[in-house]
Amino acid sequence: MEPSRDTHATLVDLLDRILDKGLIINADIIISVAGIPLIGVNLRAALAGMETMLKYGVMQAWDEKSRAWEREHRKKNVLSLVEGEEIALKMYGSYYYSKGIYNAWRPGYFYLTNKRFIHYRQDFDEITWQIPLEEIKALVVRGEAHFVKGKKKQVLYLIDKQDQVHRFNAVETNQLKDAIEQNLATTGFSLEVNPVLPEFEEGPIDFLTEGEEVTHRGGKVWYLVPASGIKQETWRPGHLYLTNKRLCWWNDFERKLVFDLPVDRIIGVNTGMRKTSSLDSKKEKVLDILYQANLTKGTASFAGKEIDEWAEALNRIVSGKISEETETCPQCGKPAPAKELLEEGCQSCGWVSPRLKKKIAKAALSAE
Amino acid sequence: MTEARYLYCIVEGSEEITLGNIGIEGSSVYTISYQDLSAVVHNCLPKPYQSEDQEKVKLWLTTHAKVVEVAWEKFGTVLPLGFDTIIKGEEGFASDENIKKWLKGDEENLRQKLAKLKDRAEFGVQVFWDPKIISEGLIEATPEIKKLSEDIKSKSKGLAYMYKQKLENLLKKALEKEADKYFKDFYEQIRRCVDQIKVEKTKKLEEEKQMLLNLSCLLFKEKSKILGEELEKIEHLKGFSVRFTGPWPPYSFV
Repeated sequence: MEPSRDTHATLVDLLDRILDKGLIINADIIISVAGIPLIGVNLRAALAGMETMLKYGVMQAWDEKSRAWEREHRKKNVLSLVEGEEIALKMYGSYYYSKGIYNAWRPGYFYLTNKRFIHYRQDFDEITWQIPLEEIKALVVRGEAHFVKGKKKQVLYLIDKQDQVHRFNAVETNQLKDAIEQNLATTGFSLEVNPVLPEFEEGPIDFLTEGEEVTHRGGKVWYLVPASGIKQETWRPGHLYLTNKRLCWWNDFERKLVFDLPVDRIIGVNTGMRKTSSLDSKKEKVLDILYQANLTKGTASFAGKEIDEWAEALNRIVSGKISEETETCPQCGKPAPAKELLEEGCQSCGWVSPRLKKKIAKAALSAE
Repeated sequence: MTEARYLYCIVEGSEEITLGNIGIEGSSVYTISYQDLSAVVHNCLPKPYQSEDQEKVKLWLTTHAKVVEVAWEKFGTVLPLGFDTIIKGEEGFASDENIKKWLKGDEENLRQKLAKLKDRAEFGVQVFWDPKIISEGLIEATPEIKKLSEDIKSKSKGLAYMYKQKLENLLKKALEKEADKYFKDFYEQIRRCVDQIKVEKTKKLEEEKQMLLNLSCLLFKEKSKILGEELEKIEHLKGFSVRFTGPWPPYSFV
């Protein structure tokens, strides 16, 4: 019998060895890898095949539960309409909910009827937000940086007659906008043309210094406030802001910056699952930032729903990839990466550089 | 920003050379030496490779395996490391210095390990059986069980069910005993042809087969033929099959 090396089964055999074995080095000079066993488990599941996992009950409970939940939730909860109201469009998407210190993207379904524009959450049978069609003053779609590297998401801004701005994100944001516009046209309402989007801020960011701009922000982020005096370290809610100069954490209750760190002092970023509450044994994803303090090193820990996005944004800085210069649009003054402005035009007002205009015209000519 | 070194394996040899851009994500792999011990590394950031993307991780792992393999071929003897072993720098010590410091401090131990692994390779041996076929054989071979299975045929439906349960219990016990016996036999048989042996956990499979025995064996590369012959004998037993993998770098024996 000859030993074999290249079949699927032998690959599993080899990967097992690489994941679990090998020379052990004393821990003080190596980087700890809390996430690794997880990779191993995932990968092994993929290699062994889902069927096996189910067969031996690894995921059965989970599978059953999620199926039951689906069954439960698929049947009921229908949006109730008023008489004579008809649904013209239904689309999955999120509504940006912001009240007081709480704000988050809330997922649900957009319903466009001949009377209203509604965001509805089926699972809770709750209308998150709605507006009568005649109250809509203007619509703007703007491309915004997505948390995923290099990706953009289209955000729909709706301005009502009170000049309040509402934010939405849908599967097909542009299609949603077109549908609303069409619907309005057929019902005889008209929208303001070329609306100006009022300056729109979702948090108190009056801590910026001159020339400083927020480059990444998100929903609520908890910070592990270090122990001081007799106070033990505690998790506090707030918001994290990454600017071109600093990483800042704003404490929602004290309404002030409690933590700020020049970005060039960040050494490393790591995420891991940890217990964040003494009452709850559930583990949460925690982002640890290792930074250079005066003579020593410090760690700051953050938790929250968007930890992965934050880790990615910070990792980009650590790996030195963020070198894009920002410029302001010559027409509307909005800041944007210079490269994007020149190559794609301005995302907020539609300004296009003369050179790009020429290029487009040329392309159109040659297409003819 | 501090840099770190991703460690693939330790080899014997004092030249500081590069092996080309064969590392994870195309990084350049080279050696850092202390006297005649060398670490095979690439430069990386001081954070572990992590991803949810299984294809990506798989590629990392196979690349890791390949680099160790290349080093193994080039240097003859290697002490392989597991995936994601990254040496960091410290206050006042660059990561390279740290590696040298470690090689120096652990020199004796590493040298002994390398000596033990010289010219040897690791092989995986997994023995499976098909409990169905084995059970059939057991029924024939055990008068008590044979009688019970004959009896069932003449019983009423309800009684037959009861007898069936009884039979299943007996069979299960007999199978366990059989598994124990075969395990010991095979282990002895295999142990005689190898240098070192490690019993690994058996795994569950989706097929009808069950894994009876999972071993990592260390032996002289050229002696794999002798082991192969022994395994052939097992493979020929009715209801048994053998998976024989390798040669691998000695991951399990460092």
